[in-house]
This record gives sequence, C-alpha cells and structure tokens, in this order.
Amino acid sequence: MTDVERLLSEYKEAYRTGDDTDPRPYLARASGVDRELLAALIDAYLERAPRRDFDAEAFQASPAAAVAEGVQRSLAGANGMWPALLPALRTQARLRRAEVVAQLAARLGAQSQQDKVAGYYHQMEQGLLPESGVSDTVLEALGKIVGWTADALRKAGQMPAPGPPRTDAGAVFARTHLTAAPPDAEASAAEAPAGEEWDEVDRLFRGGRPSA
Amino acid sequence: MPDLSCQTGPRAPTFISLAEFRELPEQRLNELSDEQLIDYLRAAREAGRHAAMKPAVAVLVFGYHDTLRNRARLKLPDHDVEDVVAETIASAVASAFGGSSIGEFRSWAHTILSRRIADYHDARSRSLNTTALPSEHQGEDEVWGQEPGVPFEGDAQHARDCVRLAYEELENDRHQRVIDLYVFGPHSAAQTAELVGDGMSEANVHQISSRYQKRVNELLDEGSDTSGER
Repeated sequence: MTDVERLLSEYKEAYRTGDDTDPRPYLARASGVDRELLAALIDAYLERAPRRDFDAEAFQASPAAAVAEGVQRSLAGANGMWPALLPALRTQARLRRAEVVAQLAARLGAQSQQDKVAGYYHQMEQGLLPESGVSDTVLEALGKIVGWTADALRKAGQMPAPGPPRTDAGAVFARTHLTAAPPDAEASAAEAPAGEEWDEVDRLFRGGRPSA
Repeated sequence: MPDLSCQTGPRAPTFISLAEFRELPEQRLNELSDEQLIDYLRAAREAGRHAAMKPAVAVLVFGYHDTLRNRARLKLPDHDVEDVVAETIASAVASAFGGSSIGEFRSWAHTILSRRIADYHDARSRSLNTTALPSEHQGEDEVWGQEPGVPFEGDAQHARDCVRLAYEELENDRHQRVIDLYVFGPHSAAQTAELVGDGMSEANVHQISSRYQKRVNELLDEGSDTSGER
C-alpha cells in the first residue's frame, strides 16, 4: 500500500466514523505530486459521499444549524434567498448588522430614522418584507455596502416558485392545491394601505421598485 | 433505515400515500431521498405549513454541510470556507426547490461549490495582479492581511481532471466499480471484492486500485512537465 493509499484510507475511515474530518492534516503528511494526488482523491471521495444521517445533537453544535435557519426562512419567506444571503454578505463584508443599518440609513438620507430602517432591514433578513416592495434605491445603497449589485440582490430576493411535481415513482408528496402566495407577497403596494400614513422610508421599503 | 451498503446508490423510496400534506417526524424525513425531501418542502410550503419545513431543511443541510465544507477546505483559505459553503447550500436548495437544478441534488450542490471556488480564485487572482502581498510590506505595521494559504485552484482543477481521466480510461466496467467502491467508496478491499463478485479477489482489488492511482500519478506528472505552458 502506498503512502497515498494509506492516507486516503485513514481519511475515509476517520470521515466515516467522525462528525467532521478536516482533510488538511492528512494532506500535510504528503508532499509534491503525492499531495496533489491525495487532495484529488479525497475531493472525489467527498463528492460521491452520501448524505449524512441526521444527528440532532451534532446539528445543533454545527455551523450547519445557522445555514439551515437561513435556508428555511428563505423557503418559507416572502423575499427569496435574502434571509440566507444578507447575513452571509454582511459577514463577508465584516460588518455587524448595526453597522449595515447605520450605513444604509446614511445612504438613504434617513439618519434620523435609523430605528425604522433597522426594522425594515431586520424584516429583509427574516424573510418578512416582500422583495417587490423594496425600491431600487434601497437595493443600490445596500449593494454598495455589502459589495453586490442591486440587480443581483433583486434577483436573489425573487423566490422561485416551487418546481413542478415529480411524476416518477419516487414522488410521494401529492400536491392537491395551491394556497395563497407567501405571506404578504401580494401585499406590497405602491400606496399606503387605508388608514396608514407612509413616510419616505416606508415608501422606500414598501412602495415598490421605482427609485425615489 | 434503508441499507446504504453501496455508497453511490440511491436511498430506498418510501411509499407514503398523501392525499394532502402530512407532517413527518424527523426520523422519517431522514429516510427520504434528497429529491423526496425537496418535494416535501414544496408541499409544506404550498400547504402553508412553514414550521414543518424546518426539520426537513435541517436534514438536507446537515447531510451535506460537512462534505461540502471539507471539499472547500481543500481549496479555500479557512476564513472563507464557511461563507462559500453557506452560499452554496442556499443556492443549491433554492434552485432545486424552484425546479431549475440539474440532475440529482447531491451532484448539483457539488457542481455549485466547484463553480463558487473557481469564481473565488478568479476574483482573487485578479486582485493579486494589482495588489502587493502583505509580505512585500514587511515592517510596515499598517499593511496586514493573509498570504494565499492554499494551492492555486488551477492545480486542484488539473488534479481533478487527472482523477476523472484515469477513471474514464478504465475500459472494464468492473474495474470502474472497484474504483467506485474501494477508492471513492467506504469499502475495504475484501468487501469490494465480494460486492463486485464474479471471481474478483481482494488481491485484484489492490492491483486495480494501484494501477489506477499510478495512472493518475502519470497524468499529474505529465501536467507538471508542461506546467510552464499551462
């Protein structure tokens, strides 16, 4: 058995029995072409690895829990992938939420209403604010803060409609009816609902796409 | 749990007849295939049962988080691994949910990860072309940062290509199955010989595996010889 075979075998065994196995210490034990070969073989092994069985305790202790929370909010929410994407973008930008909010309020000229901007931004991250109501002005300002284009943010916020049901034998969840659109998805309007007075910040976050 | 003795095989289908959406316990969700979980998520959303989506998403995300993270660790600096993996999983689930993914969820998620890694290194190489490395500013306290800590993605891509090419060069389907089960799979040489059957011995498995890895090495060497041209 070559060194590469032995290290690959050790890695596979550790991965199969462990919660999470970092391959880099194994790579560190090889050099040159052997190291390249080992990396490629581990890569191919991981690419073919089956889904891990669910372990509630390990899940809670894993970064996967935060990822799942964002994905769940996205799938259940009203603004596409924003709940998963926006926290990741501000992490990449090394900004805390309060810093994003402060910069966003400043760029929107709404420093005096920072709390209101914070509330709306919170709703964006939580999947509660429909994408269609958020103006281009907000997305352009937010994009400059987190390093994305307004267009890319817009597209990410548009929730894909559930795909067509599978027709093969493995499809087991018959969908018998379509319910109403996601919460508030249809509620975005260019005008304030009756009895509610909107100011400029409301219009920016709920009034629709046209730039202010 | 269904028998998962073959690593690359699909999970056994569960035969549940649901006229309307019915919430499943975590244990049952764990038994569903990826595609069935996606169907379950769609059905839960359409039924307005958002809370029921949470455990299904957890099963799917937990199931692939570690494999994606460890692949990313092979090619990305540590501080960027989690972000890239999180974005990969979110994109993979969203596109599968929307029906725009291609093929099985598992391979789709890995395809997205490979693209994100390539994009990451593209962006980085563009940046490195115009930005001096921190070590070029030694002694200047205000200039700090991290040096590249992983091999250039081009090298990793070349190695991946060699692994694939050597596999495709195997003309005998049984030899490919040996590589699937023994090199890329979780099985020992003895288990592999038994699963392939038809006269395959443990010694044959070692021989086929060694020849395969030798061929990958040759291809890697050929690449190294012409690395100046790459």
